[in-house]
Amino acid sequence: MQNLKKYLLLSVAALAFVSCSSDDDNPAANNVTLEFNNTFKNNTIVLGDAASVAATSNTSAAGQVHHFSELKYVISNIRLIKDNGTEVPYNVNDLDKGATVIDQSKTASLSYVLSNIPSASYKQIKFGLGIKQEQNTLDQVRFPNFYAAAGANDTAMMWEWGSGYRFTKVEGFYDTDNKAMSIHTGSTVEGTAGSYTQGVNAYRDITLNLTANAVVGSKAPKIKIKADFDKLLSGKINTITLSTGTGMGDNATPNVHTAAQMVKFVDNLGGNGLSDISGMFSVTSVEN
Amino acid sequence: MKKIIGFGILLLLLTSCSNDDSDMISIDNPEISLNIPTGFPEINSFVSLNKPTKYGVELGQKLFSEKRFSADNTISCSSCHIQENAFADHNPQAVGIEGRVGLRNTPSIQNLMFMKFYNWDGSKLQLENQPLVPIITHEEMDSSILEVIGKIKNDSDYKELFLKAFGDDNITPDRIYKSIAQFEYTLISANSKYDKVKRNEGETFTESEAKGYQTFQQKCASCHSTELFTDQSFRNIGFPLNTNSNEAGRGRVTGIPSDFMSFRVPTLRNIEYTAPYGSFGQFPTLKSVLDYFDNGVLEADNLDPIFKNNGAKIPLTEEEKNNLISFMKTLNDHDFIRN
Repeated sequence: MQNLKKYLLLSVAALAFVSCSSDDDNPAANNVTLEFNNTFKNNTIVLGDAASVAATSNTSAAGQVHHFSELKYVISNIRLIKDNGTEVPYNVNDLDKGATVIDQSKTASLSYVLSNIPSASYKQIKFGLGIKQEQNTLDQVRFPNFYAAAGANDTAMMWEWGSGYRFTKVEGFYDTDNKAMSIHTGSTVEGTAGSYTQGVNAYRDITLNLTANAVVGSKAPKIKIKADFDKLLSGKINTITLSTGTGMGDNATPNVHTAAQMVKFVDNLGGNGLSDISGMFSVTSVEN
Repeated sequence: MKKIIGFGILLLLLTSCSNDDSDMISIDNPEISLNIPTGFPEINSFVSLNKPTKYGVELGQKLFSEKRFSADNTISCSSCHIQENAFADHNPQAVGIEGRVGLRNTPSIQNLMFMKFYNWDGSKLQLENQPLVPIITHEEMDSSILEVIGKIKNDSDYKELFLKAFGDDNITPDRIYKSIAQFEYTLISANSKYDKVKRNEGETFTESEAKGYQTFQQKCASCHSTELFTDQSFRNIGFPLNTNSNEAGRGRVTGIPSDFMSFRVPTLRNIEYTAPYGSFGQFPTLKSVLDYFDNGVLEADNLDPIFKNNGAKIPLTEEEKNNLISFMKTLNDHDFIRN
């Protein structure tokens, strides 16, 4: 009992310290802004409908011209790596505080501000494209804010039938006759380890080296991240030719919302976790 | 200082203890002893984590008919899963709020505790994970679990049932899912004429039914096997395709090419009550299904070998079809759809 009392006292004291220490920080100086630039190669994407002349068009390795009308993806599980190799996780177990939907149609969404980052010099960033399996359950009680944001009518980043979130949602048009293309990705994993499991895991862990160390403490650095959607069809892993139809090989709209054709797109966007751990992402600059 | 904190912690401990005590007013909520039919496949292992109890089932049954599950309070689970249709309905594809048409035909709900997979594509392995899907799907109830809880949390009937079923009156998502699953686990159909013939309870097949049973064993039982009348495999049997861009059959779950447009072999129990047939209600009658098999199914790379090796058809004479239908009607369980 005496020991227990000591431990309890200790933890109470520790709590008191933790709550105090955050007050001491200069909040702005300990912010890190992740600024996403969604591009085709080096051109920032402008969205547009089928007949749009303003929309940025791109030509795939297979020669298919295409442009997008909608472009969204989920970033979560963000970690910053200090110069000495220490990994600093950023609310990795809380989608409400550590995950966001990047939406090309909403400028504000392209900048995601990380707050209260410990003062240090950082050399690398890791994050997830999509959501880890254990958090990908549409749990409205656990993560009400992310649930609301992802489920909003103008966002529609839920895969109801799979009880999970959409990780990427790309709508657009391809070929000179502007056929619809619609690429949605998400995980379909079901089952518990040790017993029967099924489905595909569309979460991809991204690792990016910073072009210069981001120094947190006195200044609030900005890390500019390029997401090159040229890779969607012309990736490091797969060169994809879109085709429209209802066969199992057709991938432009019918059944591409499904796991059957999805993994090729997932690997192009987020890498395969082995030979490619950056996918379409790269850091273009760090502003200290 | 030390003493004060120690005292406070002690107080906290005491408070949390006394709470437990007051909640433990003795509620008798016994497990329900289910009549497990002989010869049925083994029970899904998840059932042991959520064994049906008297009040859990009562609560689940009430929730199953709760229209406040839907955004506009117009439909409940039982709006599509109608008991007299073996908990299916007669629409080709399910119809949700505001007349929105879903992707697929409403499946019957029966003998689920013996199933390894749920839904046409087997997307769920655990029944407790299923109820959220219709609640949030745009074409079904288009709501959310917290919206549902917000609507029923002050309902004294529910408070009492949650208390009786779970020991306190907290209404949580998990408890909703568990109680609905408990109710569904109790929906066991094993009292058809077929069952009574098998169990030698004095019933006998007519000549047509007996011939139909013979044909069934020769031409159907390789897929519609076991006492569930499904081997629970997923097969592409060349049915007319649903061209909705969200449809890929089990392929949308597994990503395996050979699962493309494959669907779970449906049970034949109570099949007469669940027309129309097929994953999106392609066939209005049992006869039209048999005619389709007889005439030949669609070719596909992953067409089931049983069809692939037999000219993409199951040849059937008109007499065989009539007898098969007679036999299938012996799988009607009148008690199941009435009680």
